[in-house]
Amino acid sequence: MSKRIVTAALLAGAATLALGSFAGQAWAEKKVLNYGMATKDVGRLDPHMTATTPDKALLQMIFSGLVRFKPGTISPELIEPDLAEKWTSSADGKEWTFNLRKGVKCHDGNEFTSADVVYSLKRAADSKTSQFASDYKDFDKVEAPDASTVKVTLKNPIPSLLGMVANLHGGNMVCMKAAEAAGENFKLKPIGTGPFVFKEYKPQQSVTLVANPDYFRGRPKLDTIEYKFIESDASRDLAFAAGELDLIYGKQDETWVERTKKVKGAVVAVIEPGELSSIYLNIKHEILKDIRVRKAIAHAIDRKAMVQLKGASTAREAKSIVPIGYLGYAEDVPLLPYDPEKSKALLKEAGYPNGFTLKVIHTNLSGMLPTMQAWQAMLKKVGINLEIDVVEHATFHAQIRKDLSPIVHYAAARFPVADIYLTQFFHSRSIVNTPTAVTNFTHCDQADAEIDAARVEPDPAKAKALWRTAQVKLMDAVCAVPSHEQLSVFGYHDDFVLGYDLKGSLSLGPMITEQSHFK
Amino acid sequence: MLQYLVKRLLFAVPTLLAVLTVVFFIARILPGDPAQVILGEQASAEAIQALRLRLGLERPLIQQYAGFMAGALTGDWGSSMVTGRPVLGEVLNVIPYTIELTAASVILGAIIGIPLGVWSALHRNRLIDYVTRIGSLLGLSFPAFVMAIMLLLVFAIQLSWFPVISSGGSGSLGVRLQHLALPAINLGIIMAAYITRVTRSSMLEVLGEDYIRTAHAKGVPALAVVWRHSLRNALIPVVTVVGLYLGILIGNSVLTEIVFNRPGLGKLIVGALTQRDYTMLQGLMVVYTFVIVVVNLLTDLTYGMIDPRVKYQ
Repeated sequence: MSKRIVTAALLAGAATLALGSFAGQAWAEKKVLNYGMATKDVGRLDPHMTATTPDKALLQMIFSGLVRFKPGTISPELIEPDLAEKWTSSADGKEWTFNLRKGVKCHDGNEFTSADVVYSLKRAADSKTSQFASDYKDFDKVEAPDASTVKVTLKNPIPSLLGMVANLHGGNMVCMKAAEAAGENFKLKPIGTGPFVFKEYKPQQSVTLVANPDYFRGRPKLDTIEYKFIESDASRDLAFAAGELDLIYGKQDETWVERTKKVKGAVVAVIEPGELSSIYLNIKHEILKDIRVRKAIAHAIDRKAMVQLKGASTAREAKSIVPIGYLGYAEDVPLLPYDPEKSKALLKEAGYPNGFTLKVIHTNLSGMLPTMQAWQAMLKKVGINLEIDVVEHATFHAQIRKDLSPIVHYAAARFPVADIYLTQFFHSRSIVNTPTAVTNFTHCDQADAEIDAARVEPDPAKAKALWRTAQVKLMDAVCAVPSHEQLSVFGYHDDFVLGYDLKGSLSLGPMITEQSHFK
Repeated sequence: MLQYLVKRLLFAVPTLLAVLTVVFFIARILPGDPAQVILGEQASAEAIQALRLRLGLERPLIQQYAGFMAGALTGDWGSSMVTGRPVLGEVLNVIPYTIELTAASVILGAIIGIPLGVWSALHRNRLIDYVTRIGSLLGLSFPAFVMAIMLLLVFAIQLSWFPVISSGGSGSLGVRLQHLALPAINLGIIMAAYITRVTRSSMLEVLGEDYIRTAHAKGVPALAVVWRHSLRNALIPVVTVVGLYLGILIGNSVLTEIVFNRPGLGKLIVGALTQRDYTMLQGLMVVYTFVIVVVNLLTDLTYGMIDPRVKYQ
């Protein structure tokens, strides 16, 4: 018995054994997917009103867009038809016409027509019903000339328009009658046109989805998805090893990947987009306003060491202030190399031969605090002493938005077009503690002109050139020091077939499609 | 008796009002903004401001307070600011799970703890006493979540007797008990450790009393001396500890709930706090205060059952 308990302490070994004993039971044709998500509960189940990963990963199975990101990909260039069969745009890029699929049914049985599209897009553009309203401020008119045609007129051309009518955020199409009837309660009973239908919500436990028999791509092969909220990483892993869960949200670290790979029959999927971790420097701060100091900070950060710390399976070195692979990301703009000696020399030149001390605010979140502590150690080597004031996560978000921390660590993934990242983090409009604030902690405004011009530039090549110039300017000014990118990880058993090649997901969770099934 | 009950419950009203006032203001002094949490990190300051207006967070504080108090007194607890679901419904949904778990762990704790404490006291300073004392000290000092993971590894993974996801179970009584077992054992062990220690020390005190010696001297059977004369008199401090600990347990079960994936009040309150869900937090505080008041009352009533000399006035 004592030997048994010793073995039990070794998670990996135990996991393998348990899986063996469960395998026999699970082999009959399985139609229920048990999906384990890292969350206490879900929030508002309204695609226009939520942006959290646990909510988005669930809602993507209930709703469709006019177009969709090809399952498993996040590239706007691979967008494919969804509720719209085809679309055209005028030469000046201001008028878009979408032809809808006919005979599509909402989960409540009503037919999905152009009226639903008009309703949805207006809803997405209204700040009372949508938190993505500002994304749609260049929408002038949305009209339905007939039941299967939608015409969108823009005030300015938006090159990434398709992304805004795709199956993400405000692009999710809600069903008009259901939304109007439910009003405020739509978030408790979401109704769309996706492959799965919302059936039941159990507080703190799960949401149950069932197959949509009328799904326009055909009835899903799975009958049911049990989307379970399992906050504890350890419990999720154990339940996965015991076969109680088929697909789980993983922990972005090397030990998790290694341990999960040892579970018999487990597949580990590392998926895009990467969350870019950068150090944002307030260029108006009395010490940081000297560019030599900012350069000294940049030279002190060892990106290779950061990747080692985070684990090579899930992390990679950052290449720019815009995440790798985003449309418009400039891969050829060199970052300041790791060079502590040069860093010290720069500090001396700037009048800080003995370095200086800076007080920064940071979150206690277990994924983010070690990153800041690693940077703290690196900066210490060149004489910069960071005093980290560790606060609870909601407090952190409130305080950095009040401009209280001269250095901010932020990790984020956004819609994969350079425009969004550049606007939110580096446009003067987004400077924190102003009425139009988003997340510009740097106070930089050097690239406003390029960012604005690129957004309305109809020629993709010219837009890319503008975004490149913006990145060069902002990186020359050392507004931020990009460090590393972290990818999301999921684990599933090899008897489960997603039905597509999983490389990424903008909802940050694998899409379960009508093709997904068990072997 | 009835008069006593009514009096005690009436005394609870000012306590409740004071707690609600403190919670209302503390929640709003905390940095962090529910609108920010709801809208997510990409939200612009404009959108956050618009939502704050809609949630009524921009009204003067005193007006918000008046509205909240009026609602609390008339039974309208409002909706969760984050999920939009009614607070009362959310609380009622999880309360059965919390009561079930707490009751099971207290019963388990008493079944293990009282006999062990008595046994240990009767064998004072002998091997069995040392083993029990060390064991109970371990039970007290071992973090609940570590024990939880060990229980899962042994009984759910290695032996496959219980599920990892003990979400409460909705089927037969058997399934429910199966789901309840590991979390209840986890908390029950801690409870047992407390009870063992208190029972032991209380018993030692009673065993040294003159009337016990008298009982022995006049030839009362040893077992009767222990159970009737000693234990009954030793139980009052035990009941006090159980009562006090019960209140703590209801709040402290959050780690157990998280590891075993059980719904419960603990999880709800931690979630409300991290999300700055003011309405939910306020509603939960009403529940907690009420629970503490009721538990204290029950504790006092139990004294009378154990010791007929206790009178309620």
